[in-house]
Amino acid sequence: MEFDLEDPLVSLEEEQTFTISELFASESEHVPSPNCLTSTHFRVFCCEAISLILQVQVSCKLDPFVAYLAINYLHRFMSSQEIPQGKPWFLRLVVISCLSLASKMKNTTLSFLVIQKEGCYFKAQSIQRMELLILGALKWRMRSITPFSFLHFFISLAEIKDQSLKQALKSRASEIIFNAQNDIKLLEYKPSTVAATALIFASHELFPQQYSILRASITASEYLDGETLSKCFDLMQDMMRMEAKELMIDTSFLSTETPVSMLERNTKRQRI
Amino acid sequence: MEMEKTGAGVAVLSAKEAFEKLEKVGEGTYGKVYRAREKATGKIVALKKTRLHEDQEGVPPTTLREVSILRMLSRDPHVVRLMDVKQGQNKEGKTVLYLVFEYMDTDLKKFIRSFRQTGQSIPPQTIKSLMYQLCKGIAFCHGHGILHRDLKPHNLLMDRKTMMLKIADLGLARAFTVPIKKYTHEILTLWYRAPEVLLGATHYSMAVDIWSVGCIFAELVTKQALFAGDSELQQLLHIFRLLGTPNEEVWPGVSKLKDWHEYPQWNPKSLSTAVPGLDELGLDLLSQMLEYEPSKRISAKKAMEHAYFNDLDKGHL
Repeated sequence: MEFDLEDPLVSLEEEQTFTISELFASESEHVPSPNCLTSTHFRVFCCEAISLILQVQVSCKLDPFVAYLAINYLHRFMSSQEIPQGKPWFLRLVVISCLSLASKMKNTTLSFLVIQKEGCYFKAQSIQRMELLILGALKWRMRSITPFSFLHFFISLAEIKDQSLKQALKSRASEIIFNAQNDIKLLEYKPSTVAATALIFASHELFPQQYSILRASITASEYLDGETLSKCFDLMQDMMRMEAKELMIDTSFLSTETPVSMLERNTKRQRI
Repeated sequence: MEMEKTGAGVAVLSAKEAFEKLEKVGEGTYGKVYRAREKATGKIVALKKTRLHEDQEGVPPTTLREVSILRMLSRDPHVVRLMDVKQGQNKEGKTVLYLVFEYMDTDLKKFIRSFRQTGQSIPPQTIKSLMYQLCKGIAFCHGHGILHRDLKPHNLLMDRKTMMLKIADLGLARAFTVPIKKYTHEILTLWYRAPEVLLGATHYSMAVDIWSVGCIFAELVTKQALFAGDSELQQLLHIFRLLGTPNEEVWPGVSKLKDWHEYPQWNPKSLSTAVPGLDELGLDLLSQMLEYEPSKRISAKKAMEHAYFNDLDKGHL
């Protein structure tokens, strides 16, 4: 049996009933505090910071889990702070520090030099001070409980026999979770709710015939609140619709270069 | 550029202001251990102090991962609780971390020694209760993908009044163990070490902790270490004399381990000769903990379900 002793994204490969309930009990320690979600400053700051993190992910070819973890730290940290005004360097320093902490937890080598190729350069000492500030605010709870922690558990409820089906389901659900991280609204929901919702969507896409069974087994879970799950589902449905729409526009543009397609594309760009 | 203080202006007490150090109770590679009182609450804690080394890459990854692990594991009643992590500065202005643990007044090593001195046996139900708590705590750690790797009576803290047992010295906290004095006849870390570790296995598994649990189980019954070697070779020979020298039949792959050699050939003896006073069910559980082949050793969770614990009142554990 191989044991990943260092995985900071807790996942349960074996099922231990007391550990499952403990995981659900402690997930609220790994989400941002609720008060911040109505703050415009928080949303603007986080959107810009996430954009920067995703840029680094692409340019440094980071494991997407590292970026995901960094964004988790960002949300938790910034929800416990007042957003400072008139300090443009602060955002960059927070981003670099969150990426640094996430890469260390994930045991990835990520030099400070690499992640700040452009713009102002921070000394190692400054980054360490920010790291310590973030660690204190997060109470050193860096092994974050995220939606990924719950996928195995929910999949096991459906009692799917086919291993490749389970793997495909998990992969697609993970992809949905990665894509969803941009939307701040999703922070209102617990990681377990996000995981359950992503799985329901993934099963509908991949295995329509199994969909109703999986949905029923997930929603029957004692750990989930049906009403909250329903709201999260609606939100994710909107996000998926948007994703599908963008995909159609791209496809349409490739297949038929018509004035209508061009017009739609320009309209989209203007809206952004 | 100078980084200004950020966040709301909430006054946070530094570690020095928040705690009154009462006495130094230990010292290790990375720092000192104090019994201390939290001024705000009067609560007694164990303060473990470590300097955070300045690094070109910020907070050291090892420190980060291990403190995070301790924070997660502290939810279980059978793992010693890391209550807080405080940052401070020492006289030279260097960053210092204080790990704030709940304080426990004794450990299993002292507990066993006290019975040895009086010549009394530890009551069977007490042994059973302590063993159940140990299995439960280890099952919790393993369920989170955490191995202890250095289980021994000194690392199992106890509250003498409630007979609660808690696992300590996971990860970084282990660095604070009182150092082994040179020339002492007792080499703690060898006595509880699994044979695959002694034979140079590079891949550890949960089974290394179960072996240690088995050794501790036997020691609770007899009040003496089961395998008390003073070198790695002697440790192996102690094991082989009791359990028989392993071969490819009882332990497939053993002869391919890095530090395997030719050893004197002993036949296995009955465990009851080494652990008199333990009943049949206890001997069965112990034998499953001391299986040579790591993959065949019982898991902590399965051990909790063993019939040996059937008559134990588990309600308060």
